[in-house]
Amino acid sequence: MTIAVKHLADPREMEAYRAVVKARRGAVAHTVRVCIGTGCAAKGSRRLFELFQEAAAESGADVEITNKCVGCHGFCERGPIVVIEPGDIFYQRVEEPDVAEIFRETVLGGRVVERLLYTDSATGAAATTEEDIPFYQAQQRIVLAANGLIDPRSIDDYLAIGGYSALSKALTAMQPEQIIAEVEKAGLRGRGGGGFPAARKWRSCRQAHGSPKYVICNGDEGDPGAFMDRSVMEGNPHSVLEGMIIGAYAIGSNQGYIYVRNEYPLAVEHLKVAIGQARELGLLGENILGSGFSFDIKITRGGGAFVCGESTALMASLEGRAGEPRAKYVHTVEHGLNDLPTNLNNVETWANVPAIVNRGGDWFAGIGTEKSKGTKVFSLVGNVVNTGLVEVPMGITLRRIVEEIGGGVQGGKAFKAVQTGGPSGGCIPAEHLDTRVDFDELTHLGSMMGSGGMIVMDENTCMVNVAKYFLGFLKDESCGKCTPCREGIAQMLYILDRITHGDGENGDLDRLEVLAGLLDGTALCALGKTSANPVLSTIRYFRREYEEHIREKRCPAKVCKGLFLYEIDAEACKGCGICKRNCPVSAISGERRQAHEIDQAVCTKCGTCLEKCPFSAILKV
Amino acid sequence: MPTVKIDGISIEVETESTILDAAHKAGVWIPTLCHHPAVTNVAACRICMVEIDRGDWRQLVTACNYPIRRDTDVYVNSEKAVRARQGVMELLLARAPESKELKELAARMDVKGTPYPTVTESQRNCILCGLCIRVCEEAIGQSAIGFAGRGAERVVATPFRMASEDCIACGACAAVCPVGTIQIRMHPETNEVEISPFKTRAKMLVCEECGARIVATPVAGQVLEKVKFDWEEFRRRARLCPACRRKRTAAALTQAKIE
Repeated sequence: MTIAVKHLADPREMEAYRAVVKARRGAVAHTVRVCIGTGCAAKGSRRLFELFQEAAAESGADVEITNKCVGCHGFCERGPIVVIEPGDIFYQRVEEPDVAEIFRETVLGGRVVERLLYTDSATGAAATTEEDIPFYQAQQRIVLAANGLIDPRSIDDYLAIGGYSALSKALTAMQPEQIIAEVEKAGLRGRGGGGFPAARKWRSCRQAHGSPKYVICNGDEGDPGAFMDRSVMEGNPHSVLEGMIIGAYAIGSNQGYIYVRNEYPLAVEHLKVAIGQARELGLLGENILGSGFSFDIKITRGGGAFVCGESTALMASLEGRAGEPRAKYVHTVEHGLNDLPTNLNNVETWANVPAIVNRGGDWFAGIGTEKSKGTKVFSLVGNVVNTGLVEVPMGITLRRIVEEIGGGVQGGKAFKAVQTGGPSGGCIPAEHLDTRVDFDELTHLGSMMGSGGMIVMDENTCMVNVAKYFLGFLKDESCGKCTPCREGIAQMLYILDRITHGDGENGDLDRLEVLAGLLDGTALCALGKTSANPVLSTIRYFRREYEEHIREKRCPAKVCKGLFLYEIDAEACKGCGICKRNCPVSAISGERRQAHEIDQAVCTKCGTCLEKCPFSAILKV
Repeated sequence: MPTVKIDGISIEVETESTILDAAHKAGVWIPTLCHHPAVTNVAACRICMVEIDRGDWRQLVTACNYPIRRDTDVYVNSEKAVRARQGVMELLLARAPESKELKELAARMDVKGTPYPTVTESQRNCILCGLCIRVCEEAIGQSAIGFAGRGAERVVATPFRMASEDCIACGACAAVCPVGTIQIRMHPETNEVEISPFKTRAKMLVCEECGARIVATPVAGQVLEKVKFDWEEFRRRARLCPACRRKRTAAALTQAKIE
């Protein structure tokens, strides 16, 4: 049931409204929270929600049951996730047939369905709630605190957990300078990758001449494997809006933009709904909460170009021009969007602001390391057991993220490297796993914090191939404006391509390093300047592997086609003849029920035999 | 006025002027390709990299658009700056190996050749500096050409790569092209001018007196439109080549004297 919405004229009215919302929430006996984050939705969670709705309608129970869709819980590996209140019982990998049982046993009966609980593979212990799961235990959630708890399409839900109280505090009890001072005390650094101190940017923009001023939320997340900002926009859009409104008040801006890629339809939808609701309640628009401060936000959808995550390219795109960066000798806080003072921060940065205003800069600064404060959201993906979204305090070691939270490498294989920082980042090997996650520490290792992509790689990963992959991505995403990026990346990729095809030459590594230095020194924007990082970091830590490719024409991870051989294990081969029939070049011979053989002179190493063999008798050597 | 010290030569410049302006004033040569005084600087080619002193470190910046706001030490011929410019030139030579103009500039920069193969060939011998596009938009006001494609696939093209209706065949793009890729071709048999490689053609205006080709007709039309000078004699003279026009004017003057 919805409560009559009204325009909240001042903070008192907001608190009164909040009290009404909370009272209504208190009357609900049972709540079923179904995750509709993109990961769970892809596994059919929207249908689960419908089934819970049907079950509630059919049951005719006389207690009030609320089914709600919530944002990403982070444990995407185990989706779809359904949580039942009271008790916060955490069900994972829920399928359609499970709904009836959950409804009957847990919602109505108050009993736990054991088989749907998460069971720790090491200890065999079943976890009833999130807190019992190792994946969540080492995490500390500020930005993601309400994800999975609230319906992202309900401003009432956000208000019920104390939402917009930071805005009310900022507008009534704080001067703009005070807010900036608080953010400064917190030591908040930009979460988009650069790690620039947010307060310094805000102050520069506040002090810049020119009017109007703009604030922008950069939601153009585009690193391969990254979905941090997406999940925040999808799961808790009001936290982003609240942060932006507070920031705009501190900076002295009346117009904001959220730039979000069109490939994030759910984020766009939830942000649209949130903006509409905030306007309706008077939290956006003229004279917000009677403070005399006015601010509004528009959503602009981007076409999905990676380079548009770069601030000047993003602003060009917002202006309706091609998304190409320009020199930043004159900062965007002075001359940004439409040549006016503009403050741009990333989604996660904005989402941290309400908590800082509410709990104080000192509290925030108490988390993390000397120069990196607070928490950081990472999307933990790759060859790791628990893939998903994790929020950890700065200063936690990579090892704890990979092993404790991530549960180690999949399939019991050996860990090889973790890639952080997206395409501009680098690969960190096992010997540096005890490094603390911190802006400066990661940069020191030749990688970077970036926006929070974290890809775990196992022993079967070829590092030359990884470097080639990222460079290929950047070649596709380079805008082509400046010479070094457009030509230099293509030249580097050409060399890597040769190496992975067994045509590497002596001196190739030197050539790569020369090009990397050239890109770093002369490219126009950060995309080009940092594009060589994946290559440099893999050469730095896996030089031997490059040399094996170049000198011995061998790919030790057996990934690069042509740099390893396929052989038939005579013991395992049953002589079924499937490989022989499927070999496109007739390189396999052998009698029926006898071990077969591959003629290496004919074999093109296409790998068809390996795929087709039902007995795993084909070996890569 | 801030003082700029370029390779030891101190000069005062207006605030917000560029390092390139200062270098001109100081008589220090910095190579440029995508820079032209008639249009805005975009610093796309990166051939004008120089080093500036940042106190505890030195930064490579592009001279053509780095604005001077305070006293600045600039190093044009430091090893790092020279190496950076040469590196960029080597990449450009790989892209446009046949350009005579580019080779000449390379020689002046002590670049003997390129160690790189040609791997990007979206547009033959074009270095994608974009001067032609900016001239067409900013100086001529036509925007007949633009960038199409992205990254290594980028090209300078007319819309849909068809002869553009907006092109007035003025040839400004060819005049500013630093590598000689854009050419003005005459087709005497049809009395047409072609802007290559954009495939646009226009009839030439022919002198009514001597038959010499003067200018592309759309250009003449645009000039007459802009001038808005309602004097029949002016319009008549506009259809003459400069030499015949001078003769006509001289004749008119002597006539006037006699009368």
